[in-house]
Amino acid sequence: MRKKLAVFLSILMVFTFIVTFIGETGFAQEDDRVVEVSLITRPKSSSPDEFETMTILAEAMKNVGIDATVEVMPWEKMADVVWYDREAWQITGWQMTARPERLDPDEFTYNLFHSSTAETGYNFIGYKNPEYDKVAEQQRVTVDREKRRELIYKAQEIIAEDAAYIFAVHPMVNIVYNNEVFAADSIKEMAGLGVKNFWTYINAEPIGDQKDMILNSNDTVQSVNPLYISGTVDSWITELVWDRLMRMGQDGLPKPWAAESVEWLNDTSVEVVLKDDLKWHDGEDVTVEDVKFSFEVPKTGEAPMYKPFVDVIEDIEIVDDSTLVFNLKEPWAAFETASLAKVNIIPEHIWAPVIEDLKDKPENAESHQEEVPVGSGPFKFSNWKFSEEVVLTANEAYFQPPKIDNWIVRFIPNMEATLGMVQNGEINFLATYLGDSQLLEQRVESDPKLTMVSSVDLGFRFLAPNHRIKPFNDKAFRRATAALNDRNLITQLVWKGFAVPANSVVSPALEYWKNPDLNYPSGGFEQAREILEEAGYEWDDQGRLLYPEE
Amino acid sequence: MNVRWKYILKRAGQMVLTMWIISTILFFIFRLMPGNPLVAYIDPTFTQEQQQILMQQFGLDQPLWMQYVIFIKNLLRGQLGQSFFYKDSVVNVIFKVLPNTIYLMLSALIIAYFTGIVGGIFLAWKRGEKVETAGIIVTLFTRAAPQFWVGMILLAVFSFEFGIFPSGGVSQAGTSYASEFHKLLSLDFYRHLFLPALTLSIYLIGLPLLLMRSNMLDVMSESYVEMAEMRGLSKLRIMFKYAARNAFLPVITAMAVGIGYAMGGNVVIETVFSWPGLGRLLVNAVSTSDYPLAQGAFILIAGVMVFMNFLADIIYSLLDPRVNIESRR
Repeated sequence: MRKKLAVFLSILMVFTFIVTFIGETGFAQEDDRVVEVSLITRPKSSSPDEFETMTILAEAMKNVGIDATVEVMPWEKMADVVWYDREAWQITGWQMTARPERLDPDEFTYNLFHSSTAETGYNFIGYKNPEYDKVAEQQRVTVDREKRRELIYKAQEIIAEDAAYIFAVHPMVNIVYNNEVFAADSIKEMAGLGVKNFWTYINAEPIGDQKDMILNSNDTVQSVNPLYISGTVDSWITELVWDRLMRMGQDGLPKPWAAESVEWLNDTSVEVVLKDDLKWHDGEDVTVEDVKFSFEVPKTGEAPMYKPFVDVIEDIEIVDDSTLVFNLKEPWAAFETASLAKVNIIPEHIWAPVIEDLKDKPENAESHQEEVPVGSGPFKFSNWKFSEEVVLTANEAYFQPPKIDNWIVRFIPNMEATLGMVQNGEINFLATYLGDSQLLEQRVESDPKLTMVSSVDLGFRFLAPNHRIKPFNDKAFRRATAALNDRNLITQLVWKGFAVPANSVVSPALEYWKNPDLNYPSGGFEQAREILEEAGYEWDDQGRLLYPEE
Repeated sequence: MNVRWKYILKRAGQMVLTMWIISTILFFIFRLMPGNPLVAYIDPTFTQEQQQILMQQFGLDQPLWMQYVIFIKNLLRGQLGQSFFYKDSVVNVIFKVLPNTIYLMLSALIIAYFTGIVGGIFLAWKRGEKVETAGIIVTLFTRAAPQFWVGMILLAVFSFEFGIFPSGGVSQAGTSYASEFHKLLSLDFYRHLFLPALTLSIYLIGLPLLLMRSNMLDVMSESYVEMAEMRGLSKLRIMFKYAARNAFLPVITAMAVGIGYAMGGNVVIETVFSWPGLGRLLVNAVSTSDYPLAQGAFILIAGVMVFMNFLADIIYSLLDPRVNIESRR
């Protein structure tokens, strides 16, 4: 019996060795060359559109012989891997969200692709192109708008040609409001942001008994602080409580707001004349000293999140009671958008002692939460019910006072309930809806008091290929992938038509800056196979795609 | 008396040890989980300089063992640190939402346990009849039904269809109360509390009801109950004076433990009804890697559970003359 067992085991071992070695040597060479791609995405439950987009692309890749697998990761892990381990992933889903300051293409053009931000900054894909660097640097300092546009066009051309990003879509942002509460013509649309914007808040006119605007968000507020960028909803609030020298207009271009006028004396000096009779919510006058103070505080290190927006300022001269001159270290084309329309004007008489006090403490100004925040914006802070809602009251003394009585944001994490709430009046402005757009449209169509406004988003969804490692370090492979990524299918299937295919970081909502003629691959399988063949890729007899011979 | 105090001291010592182990586990779990708090700041304008400042602020630039020592030192002084994102002390942040969680929890527990005890007695009384079978099925159904489903149905019917109750929050938009006390006196608050408390109590009722029924059945077969029946006492009197009083001891201890469980586990109800409580705060803290807040909230919940278990033991030993502290030696 034992002898039989011994014989059996030794045959088994020999057999195993043979199979392993044949496996190793027989297909070894070709196996090394098989193109394997792991696509990272967030889970279906939290990001259904990203998950579905990835799945569709993985299938398309398989059809071309690529060994493609979808790897699901929760956001926390994905961000950790993609951000801190930059050689460890091949391609991942990602997105850029719409924010008013992104109406100027500088942030996307420079920070996303300039080689200086490739190691630890936002150029996490590792794109390094000296030609692009020059264009990105140049557009930053070209103050002449026409000339700058040519450069922005050129930047988009290079990115599209190189398929640096695998673009997906610009989603449509769908906002629903109650037309029995607000006059339709008082709801204002803004390029790339839809009707959820500053102009709607100050212009909305109540036509019934309800004089308050009640909006929803699915995120709570973490702080109401003009020196701390603490979240999306928090920024809606800071935008209204504190005022700014300029504001982004409905057309997406900056215009003077708390400033009477903004004039460029030369490429590096800007003269700003403040409006007269501006008052803080506590009754004090807004002075040029307050303005100078507001732009100097972020440089002290007590407001690190605002530092990038004032770094370029060399100094600020007070010329007279209404006039200041900003002197820049070098020309900065986006100065108006990224600084004058971004930095909150804060009262020196309240914040100076606070900043002084913080100098020898480890915390900074982000930890300081005013009991009753004081700004000079169109709305005054009224109440904050923690984790529940924030109430702002119209500032009657403002130079363009709002027509509504109160602006109230409720934190509603239950997305389905928000549909019921906008129908029964508990909210009258559906500012956040992350559910099915088709369902939303149906509800709106069946209820005459609801109006939905759909606008192309400033932001975009895309797939980020890692330029540091195979296979996306090869331009041809990237272009082939871009061709395989059927953006029309994604628009129809994943977004139910509520999106626009993307081929640039600049959204079509920015008519002025969007380059309409881009050589971005869109030819599907045929084009993909063509590109790959030309670049030396081959297919084995099992149909698997192989890297070109070294 | 001496023995009892010794017992209490011993238990107190055990509680401290348990809390220390829990705190240590919590500390390491969060730091070993994938994800880190800086991820929330990832942004094109987020510079390397800012990253380093943040690491310093969060205390994450120091070696792990050092962070742990600081954490334990602070804990012993009753300080739970500062939330990374709210930039306020963890204790402050938690206490802003804690009252809401307590109101929801206590009202649901009281409704569930009161109804459950009476229901359990009733079903025991009706032993063998069709009502009993139906009752058990309904009870099991309430326990098995997912809370979000029950909640959404209640919302759809009572809030959106009939408009009797509001669909979310603790109070109406734009209203504010002079103090917590004023809130408790207002009808509007109870209108907001009703649906979430009802949903939670529907879920909780299963335990006390079935436990009570089971204890009643045990007790009813005891000889002193048989004696009472032979003496001709009314069924009602036997049920309540003789059987129920003995049957409901375990239910009381279950309630004490139930309070511990209910403290932090209501995130589903809080999400469905937009109730600003500890559950949601905790879940958000964990997903954004807000270590101090997540740790602090978990430690609080653990502390309540450990304490309530201890309290349950003490209560039981006081109420049940059969349980003698001395006999534990």
